[in-house]
Amino acid sequence: MPEGSSGFNEEEIMERRSFLKASMVAALISVSAYASSAQAQDKTFTIALVPGLTTDAFYITMRKGAEAAAKAVGAELVFQGAPDFNPVTQVPVLDAIIAKKPDAILIAPTDKDQLIQPLKKAHDAGIPVITVDTFIGDGIYQTGAGDAEFPLSYIASDNVLGGAIAARALAKAVGEKGKVYVSNVKPGISTTDQREQGFKDEMAANHPGIEVLESQFNDNDANKAASQLQAVFARNSDLVGVFGANLFSALGAANGVQQAGQTGNIKVVAFDAPTSIVDNINSGLVDVAIAQHPAEIGYFGVMSAYAHLTGNSIPTAIGTGFTIIDKANVADPDVAKYIYSD
Amino acid sequence: MTSTVDEPPKVDPHIAPQADHADQTQTLIGHIAQLRAWLFLGALIIIFEIWSRLSFGGTFVLSPFNWQSIAIFAVAPLLLAIGQTFVIISGGIDLSMGFIMGLAAVVAAHMTNLAGLYMPLPFAMLFGILVAVLVATIPGMINGLLISRLKVPPFIGTLGMFGVARGTAFLLAGGTTVPVKNEYFAMLGNGRILGIPYLVLVTAVFVLVMHYILSQTRFGQHNYAIGANAQAARRAGIDIKGHILKLYVLSSVCAGLGGALYAARFTAGAAQAGEPLLLDCVAAVVIGGASLFGGSGSILGTVAGALVIAVIQYGLVFLDVEPFWQFIAVGVVIIISVLIDQAQRRFSGAKQDE
Repeated sequence: MPEGSSGFNEEEIMERRSFLKASMVAALISVSAYASSAQAQDKTFTIALVPGLTTDAFYITMRKGAEAAAKAVGAELVFQGAPDFNPVTQVPVLDAIIAKKPDAILIAPTDKDQLIQPLKKAHDAGIPVITVDTFIGDGIYQTGAGDAEFPLSYIASDNVLGGAIAARALAKAVGEKGKVYVSNVKPGISTTDQREQGFKDEMAANHPGIEVLESQFNDNDANKAASQLQAVFARNSDLVGVFGANLFSALGAANGVQQAGQTGNIKVVAFDAPTSIVDNINSGLVDVAIAQHPAEIGYFGVMSAYAHLTGNSIPTAIGTGFTIIDKANVADPDVAKYIYSD
Repeated sequence: MTSTVDEPPKVDPHIAPQADHADQTQTLIGHIAQLRAWLFLGALIIIFEIWSRLSFGGTFVLSPFNWQSIAIFAVAPLLLAIGQTFVIISGGIDLSMGFIMGLAAVVAAHMTNLAGLYMPLPFAMLFGILVAVLVATIPGMINGLLISRLKVPPFIGTLGMFGVARGTAFLLAGGTTVPVKNEYFAMLGNGRILGIPYLVLVTAVFVLVMHYILSQTRFGQHNYAIGANAQAARRAGIDIKGHILKLYVLSSVCAGLGGALYAARFTAGAAQAGEPLLLDCVAAVVIGGASLFGGSGSILGTVAGALVIAVIQYGLVFLDVEPFWQFIAVGVVIIISVLIDQAQRRFSGAKQDE
């Protein structure tokens, strides 16, 4: 997310989002008016979506949103990616996509530096690039500065903000005092790093009663995340909460709480909301889940690409929101629609 | 188990002194190696205990909570390591175990849910576990056939199956985690009796059975013989092809059970469940005294090896050490373990593969 926006609070983001949505709708209306009045637009645009990895409910839900948008504007969506979140496996997929010359590429780059040159190839070939979920360079595009400003737009949740929301939810759940820590995957992933940073910054700035212990990295292994929770608890009997920065970190930490016989005493805040999170919230294993809106990211990604291809200007950044899910609202259909479906 | 035409005539193993001799030497080394892993574990615990008392004045080793946590942590890597022990002793390696475990976890989740619609929940749970283990044997059988009949090197054959099992598991799971709704299944994964988690009990029984098979049965003896000297084993009339096939099915059963128990514990099947465990399980086998050249190793040694890794990873968090030291510590233990192994071999004058 571009600098500056991390300082926004939720309301500002929501406001900005609805403003963007409104302007987007306006743009689309003018697009369709143009298309119908002027020469009929017979060309079917092909828009490629390259996710960070194909085996993740987050990107699968993003694809659904992208497909909905593609259907709405009559474009064809191509979804191709690698099975793991790694530049080494993502770049060959990207090269294959570039070789087929789609009209636009939406991509969640798996590394902010290593993907710059591969994406430059697409740009040089005249294919517009929009990044979704993650970014290249510093994520600030169309500035003319640096070598990673060529993508047209960055569409994503603000992960720093997401971490801050998680911190507030956890601080509230534990009554503003006690020890907590972040259960994280591994260092170097832009999104989870930002969540951890947002969490720690918020705790340091606004929750003086909370002590944040050293983060634990579990390599996306739920078993290890569970064991780490038990070890941290064995050492700190006054541990009151944990923030799981992704699915397996949270799933593992929640199981560690259960194994330690501390369900209810140690609060668990989970980032992301796959279908299994509903059961975890209902059974009390997880107290709060922070859902991103991946379908929204996919939808606005395709819509932005289409707007650009039909000669309209698009914003250089679109921030999508979060939904906070807990036991009180998990059954509410307005909330349940944000659970990532498969 | 008939031998094929190109094999030499069958000879009674008892009049093949070479194989017998190799067996005894290997068993002796096996005993020493096994003891070594436990000594290692003891030393580690003493160091951690002193460290714990000095750094924060509390005990590490006398806390039942710590041991419960370490035991439950060691279950998944240990189940994989048990199967890997058999394979490594025979001179092979099974790289596909991690994703066979993931495949089994997904199948266990789906089948338990599905069966729950038609039968009482406890039976649905057993049905789910059974089907998961049976499905796991399919890639195991293909591994065995590739390696024994088509002479594909184990490293390559199981690497291929690593990809096939991975893709199949993700397809079955629809790319996401599969939640299980069955309270008995969840109880199996998280309940305990007299303070001992069911998962640990199930694993302990499984370990004892596997220890018996490796140390007391003909299958186990053949396994050592093949790993020590495949030529000699063939001359002694051991049906190597049949044995290799059974061996990879056995390792996939271990992975299958590991996957089913994972689904029980996390009440969800995940295709990537075993992915991070593959290297840990090989490390447990090596620390436990097995040689990657084949012919030596034991189940009890592997148990110690798995515990060494679990104690390091749990203990360093407990002692509040910077997380990245865990990788270094486990790596150093593996290297020291192999160095001791090599020194022992030179000392005992055993034949070395150099």
